[in-house]
Amino acid sequence: MIGKQKKPVKVLIIILLILGAIWAGFPVLWMLSNSFKTNAEIFEFPPKLITENFSFTAYAKIFQNPEQVRFFLNSYAISGIVVVLTLFIGIMASYAFSRFEFRGKALINTVIVAVQAVPPITLLIPYLSLIVTLKLFNTYWALVLTYLVFTLPYCILMVTGYLNTMPRALDEAVMIDGGSRWTALWKILIPSAIPGLISVGMYTFMQAWNEYLFALTLTKTNDMRTVPVGINLLMGQHAYEWNQMMAMSVLGSLPILVLFLFFQKYFIAGMTAGAVK
Amino acid sequence: MTGWMKKSLVVAAAAAMTVGMTAIASAEDVTLEFQQWWGVELPDGALQEIVDGFTEETGVGIELLSNPYADTKTQVAAGAATGTMADVVGLDGSWVYDFAQQEAIANLSELMEADGYDDSQLSDQIKYEGSTYMIPVVNFAYPLYVNLDILEEAGVEEIPTNWTEFLEACDKIAENTDYAAYCIPLNTEAPNGIQNQFSSWLWASGGSLLEDGKPALTDNELLTSLVDYFKVMKESGYLSDGVEAMHEQDMVNEFENGRLAFMVDGISHLTTIKNESPDLNFTYAPMPKADDYDGPSGLDVACWGIGIAENCEHKEEAMAFIEYMMSPEVNAKLSQLANAFPGNSTAEPDYSENDELFLKAFDIFQEGYAINEFTGAPTAEDLMRSMNEQLILYFDGDTDSAEDMLAATQEAWEEAYN
Amino acid sequence: MNAKLKKKLTPYGYLLPTIILMLILLVIPIVMVIGYSLYDNVIANKNPVFVGLSNYQKVLTNSDFWTAVGHTLFFVIVSIVAHMIIGMVFALILNTRYLGTRTKGIFRAIYALPWMFTASVIAITWRMLLDPNGVLNFFIQFFHISSEKVTFLASRDIALQSVTLINIWSGYPFYMISILAGLQGISPDLYEAAALDGADAVHSFTGVTIPQLRPILISLIMLDFVWTLQQFALIWMTTGGGPVNATETVSTWIYKQGFTKFQYSMASTGAVILLIVCTIIGIFYVRHQKAEE
Repeated sequence: MIGKQKKPVKVLIIILLILGAIWAGFPVLWMLSNSFKTNAEIFEFPPKLITENFSFTAYAKIFQNPEQVRFFLNSYAISGIVVVLTLFIGIMASYAFSRFEFRGKALINTVIVAVQAVPPITLLIPYLSLIVTLKLFNTYWALVLTYLVFTLPYCILMVTGYLNTMPRALDEAVMIDGGSRWTALWKILIPSAIPGLISVGMYTFMQAWNEYLFALTLTKTNDMRTVPVGINLLMGQHAYEWNQMMAMSVLGSLPILVLFLFFQKYFIAGMTAGAVK
Repeated sequence: MTGWMKKSLVVAAAAAMTVGMTAIASAEDVTLEFQQWWGVELPDGALQEIVDGFTEETGVGIELLSNPYADTKTQVAAGAATGTMADVVGLDGSWVYDFAQQEAIANLSELMEADGYDDSQLSDQIKYEGSTYMIPVVNFAYPLYVNLDILEEAGVEEIPTNWTEFLEACDKIAENTDYAAYCIPLNTEAPNGIQNQFSSWLWASGGSLLEDGKPALTDNELLTSLVDYFKVMKESGYLSDGVEAMHEQDMVNEFENGRLAFMVDGISHLTTIKNESPDLNFTYAPMPKADDYDGPSGLDVACWGIGIAENCEHKEEAMAFIEYMMSPEVNAKLSQLANAFPGNSTAEPDYSENDELFLKAFDIFQEGYAINEFTGAPTAEDLMRSMNEQLILYFDGDTDSAEDMLAATQEAWEEAYN
Repeated sequence: MNAKLKKKLTPYGYLLPTIILMLILLVIPIVMVIGYSLYDNVIANKNPVFVGLSNYQKVLTNSDFWTAVGHTLFFVIVSIVAHMIIGMVFALILNTRYLGTRTKGIFRAIYALPWMFTASVIAITWRMLLDPNGVLNFFIQFFHISSEKVTFLASRDIALQSVTLINIWSGYPFYMISILAGLQGISPDLYEAAALDGADAVHSFTGVTIPQLRPILISLIMLDFVWTLQQFALIWMTTGGGPVNATETVSTWIYKQGFTKFQYSMASTGAVILLIVCTIIGIFYVRHQKAEE
């Protein structure tokens, strides 16, 4: 890492940097470019980055359609609530895993890992009947609870790792001063875990924001639906609104990108602590 | 497992009873859910306007629900299994058998009889074990689309009318232009290319995939030669590149961008193509027939079908709604808006405002007869998929002959029919 | 005595919300799926008959299922290895001292882009890119790499590789971010000590970086394995498992059983088999975690 032959290394790094950016960014650039084309131009050959009918029509159509704007609001609301609940419940569970030895610990841990493996498509019917039984069909809560159970395992794995790095002396000091475990967790451990929690929160947000299958199945009216369903609704039997689909996914990814840039510092720092145990 | 099912049933039943009682109390408050994918295919707000007409007439409200088309079937299946299916559902003919067998959709024959509805005005009814389960609201014909500019560039003077002429035209197109002559989308996700771009050829020459309602793929001379015909097209490079991964929509994109000379496609695409590619010089033509065939020609049709959920609490109102949709005036209006042909044989749509090409397609439609053997077939999508796979295996040389290819498909189909 | 009991119960108190949620919303549906797998055909058939393990026998002797297993293994293993390599390289680049903070920030965001899109959009975009008349083929012809158009998704020889490529693109940022975080947690002293021992770049990578990252890498591989194993949307929306069955994986096989053949019991059986495999992996993972402690 500490090289004497600095220059060639730097050149190599810059080449890799650019190649990497093409690999990661080109498909997204193409998506962006397509959102400004007409539907027919998207399939022109030879393909062009900017076509003669370059326009913002697709974006304008989305903003003028209250139904589509609603998809965005729903996605924000649902993803936001999921992040808060996942962190709250996940932190409590992680605290138990990190600070206690108890019967069934290994079993619960294994279950948490394994349940992620069942393909959601096979759970669709039993899960839907469960949601109907609970009278949650076509509500925000159906989606919030669903995403909660899908994001909890990852949250618990990461936060447990994070808490493990923090000395037990911290909690004990609080308890010697007469505080409860609860106080120790929320007043002492969590504040110093904020970077880690931001990274878990971001990940949770993205999972909830991008989920499609359950978002579609557990809702039926368009006022309850989210962005991924909205994108798929643009694929009809006979007409595909390609440019609007692209525009909607560009718009959908913007908030995540902004959050990512905004929290970057914490994001990276946080993952360290969570992952290295 | 059954415990939970029972529990959910009890809850559903309790909910149903409450709903049922309130319904008796005030019939005007009934609102039916109508789940379909049609709204997005029609001009903005047109479907809403049509169903509002029903509310005005009867006081029964209609709530339109929409789903992405590709997921409709999965969603109907999930809704059927859990009793959350919308009251009235838009259906595709290829799903009817499965949903009727699962008792997910209601027996319409009984409802029509109870209502004293004269079903002789319906152009078609899709049946399962002798009873109607779906009524086609409007029909879409699948004629041949022809790009006239490519034909001119290739030096093809006449639009081919039989298989030999069609191959000659393909040859000229391959020779003199950079474009593909024909396309059959074969993506496994949506295997309907077998129905619309392959079987349509068979039906056009009076052929059939079934005999007495059972698969008859072997010893089927016309079908065997059609399979070989497609193999020739594939090997000579007449088909679009990468057909094995294409969806019907991809084929339309190729056509819209002037890279495809012929395609078999629904007339429903007409408006989109005119809007997206206003300069495209194309027309409709009847399907080419087998060289020695001059009998009547079957024209592939798809439809927007309608049915009632078995879990619907207001079947009477739901049937009244279907009758409304099938009434001559409404049906005519819907047909006109959708670029389709009416499901009520007495409806007289006023097509004068439709594109003149549409009128040409209408003429073609009237010359032949409508046919689609996948409508009402058991696990129809799976039938198409197995034929799709066998066709590609034959294209790739994994299967030695068309006879072997068809024998393998026959075997897969018989499983579904037994 | 009371205090002792209270102490014993405390951890369960903290776990209670998680346990309740997982029990109701995941364990119950999963148990129902396991139940389905023991009947001849549920849902499509109103009066299913209990058949014990015969569905498992049917699935495990079904050659199509084993073909799908083979494809799934290829898909999962290649994806994981590529995710790991790309994630590692990007993380190392972003961790060098040669780049300014702002440059790092921008490229970090660019490299994380694939993470921000829903599966159907990724599938659509890559279908456009890989189309015979798409951008990639345009470049292939432009640079005379091949005179023939490459049918990435339509050729049985390369469709599985193409689908895997799409999955690699969509999944590596998870590794990159985690490894990057891990790298920043490694103490510089370790590298200095290695340098004093005369280690070059390669040796300090294998001698310091890898061992330090080991716990993260193991967690990542485990999670990625479980997630990639059930990847459905990307494959379904690009090739649908075809051409023929060239990209059929266990998840597309399950979908077809359930929703086009309406054999929910067979679909459930396939799902339970995946569950068993992942439980075994989960057990090893938890044991390994314990051993590390």
